[in-house]
Amino acid sequence: MSNQESGAGGKSGDAFLSLRGLTKRYGDFLAVDHMNLEVPKGELVAFLGPSGCGKTTSLRMIAGLTPQSEGRIIVGGDDLTGVPTYKRDMGLVFQSYALFPHMSVERNIGFGLEMRGIARDEFANRVRDAVALVHLTGMEKRRPAQLSGGQQQRVALARALVIRPAILLLDEPLSNLDAKLRDEMRNEIRDIQKRLGITAVFVTHDQSEALTMCDKVVVMNHGRLEQVGAPTELYEQPRTAFVAGFVGRMSRIRAVARNGSTAFAGQRLPVPAGLDGPIDIMIRPHRIAIGPVVSEETRHQVTGTILRTVFVGDILQYDVDVAGQIVSVELSTRGNESLLKPGAPVSLSWGPRDVYVFGAAP
Amino acid sequence: MTATPADGDDQPRRLPLVVVLLLPIALVNALGFVVPTLNLLRMSFFEAQGTGAMQEVFTLATWQKVFTDSFYAELILNSISTSLLITVLTLLCSYPIALYLHRSSGLWRSVLLVLVIAPLLTSAVVRTYGWIVILFENGLINNALAAVGIGRVRMIFNKTGVTIGLTEILMPYMILALMAGFGKLDARIEEAAASLGASPMRVFRHIVLPLTLPGIALGSLLCFVLAVSSFITPKLLGGGRVFLLATEIYDQAIVTLNWPVASALSILILLIFGTALLLYTRALNAAT
Repeated sequence: MSNQESGAGGKSGDAFLSLRGLTKRYGDFLAVDHMNLEVPKGELVAFLGPSGCGKTTSLRMIAGLTPQSEGRIIVGGDDLTGVPTYKRDMGLVFQSYALFPHMSVERNIGFGLEMRGIARDEFANRVRDAVALVHLTGMEKRRPAQLSGGQQQRVALARALVIRPAILLLDEPLSNLDAKLRDEMRNEIRDIQKRLGITAVFVTHDQSEALTMCDKVVVMNHGRLEQVGAPTELYEQPRTAFVAGFVGRMSRIRAVARNGSTAFAGQRLPVPAGLDGPIDIMIRPHRIAIGPVVSEETRHQVTGTILRTVFVGDILQYDVDVAGQIVSVELSTRGNESLLKPGAPVSLSWGPRDVYVFGAAP
Repeated sequence: MTATPADGDDQPRRLPLVVVLLLPIALVNALGFVVPTLNLLRMSFFEAQGTGAMQEVFTLATWQKVFTDSFYAELILNSISTSLLITVLTLLCSYPIALYLHRSSGLWRSVLLVLVIAPLLTSAVVRTYGWIVILFENGLINNALAAVGIGRVRMIFNKTGVTIGLTEILMPYMILALMAGFGKLDARIEEAAASLGASPMRVFRHIVLPLTLPGIALGSLLCFVLAVSSFITPKLLGGGRVFLLATEIYDQAIVTLNWPVASALSILILLIFGTALLLYTRALNAAT
């Protein structure tokens, strides 16, 4: 690691939270591998990845709950290395809520203010505002055990926000809620975060949460940053096969590249330079058109037979056997379609821009 | 770890099954505890004779003696205060161990747990003799003290010896009871408190201590009861100079053969236990 930026610091531009070469090792295992990230003030950033990818470890290092093996965490220009959690000024929301079971809603929310020795008047005002912010007015005297999961998560959120933390850290905050509540809380958290203009890190394994809520998504895999970008960027321009497969759904076709092109089911496809050997061709299932043979020269076209039909309500999914590989196609249902039967021959086509080609994972 | 919502009444209300399941223990309890206790109560009103015989004649003489003789008042106070001291010492020695065990995991935890429970595999008599070897005038500690020039200290055949011995003997029970009561203590809760600005000391005071109160109450009750009722260790380590209720009951029943007095003192111990249990329930209700 170079020490070029020693003394500079102003180079990070408007970044409020900077991770520089952040690394966590457990013996030989690299949980987080030299992570670099700049987060501007007021942004909601998602750490997205499968379990074990290092996203929670990264969050815990930012909070000071897990010491980093290497690298630095800088918040508002201050290096937090060696600063204990209780001096870091971070609001933390856990998946398990982690409310204090022996304290009322009010005392839970007021705990951070109590620790800061806030004067009585201001204390009462801020607790009242925080309670109102998360729509729990009237429940101040209840114990956590007397609240529903959604209400408990609201208390956890209010408790973290009332101290006006430098950064709000959310560790899978919606994973314990049922689907309907999750959508509700998702919007609520986003609204509050925007209204307060607070910088926040949101750890999740759920790509739809990351895409719908966050300004920026950090996709992680095996402790490494795969790609950082706005949700649309990740969806439309995935840089790795992992991102392509993890963000949104993909139909994957295996093929072999030779001299800048590949052949699949009689169709020649161009392949980016430098790729040779086994490759993955990926196409979004809903960007594939199904139906009679089209004469458009501009579209790639293959033929196959329907293997099975899956009706998912608003989506109709066809798994099509194309030259021995299964290609999934999704159609939005409109209520008047006639289902294609298994065995029916069909033609699939897609625009050249909808195709992503990556070297196959070994 | 899923949400635990407020609806707490999802317990099945199948009374007949409950009755069936409780019947065996109820029978054992009735035959092994209630009947003998009533019998003790009856005996405490019998007349004791110098020969050791017992006349089945109703008399209040025994109770009168127990309540008016200052020896018995001192005995009761001594028993309670010694047992309380032992309970507090056991708690102080055991709490850090229980907390550490609660937080450890995997093989290490299993090994430590075995180490904690291991003393229970040896009888209290053997362990008490062990303490005599360690504490007596030419024992390990006194030799060490003499070697560094501090001089020998009397640590045995007095209250100090009984306190040291019983504290160690009761520690496994205390540790297990504490751990059983630590269920609400979750690392995430402590981390949340730290993130809100609580220093380790304040996390302990505001979070850990209140959440471990059920364990503290349970362990203290258990150890107090065991301390009051233990008589082998006080007898051996007290060397006949430490007078406690349990040792006195033993003496009255086996040596002096004054069964009415032994019975009356037994009933008194039972009342002390009842009071302790009442205080425990009160403490628990106050905590939750």
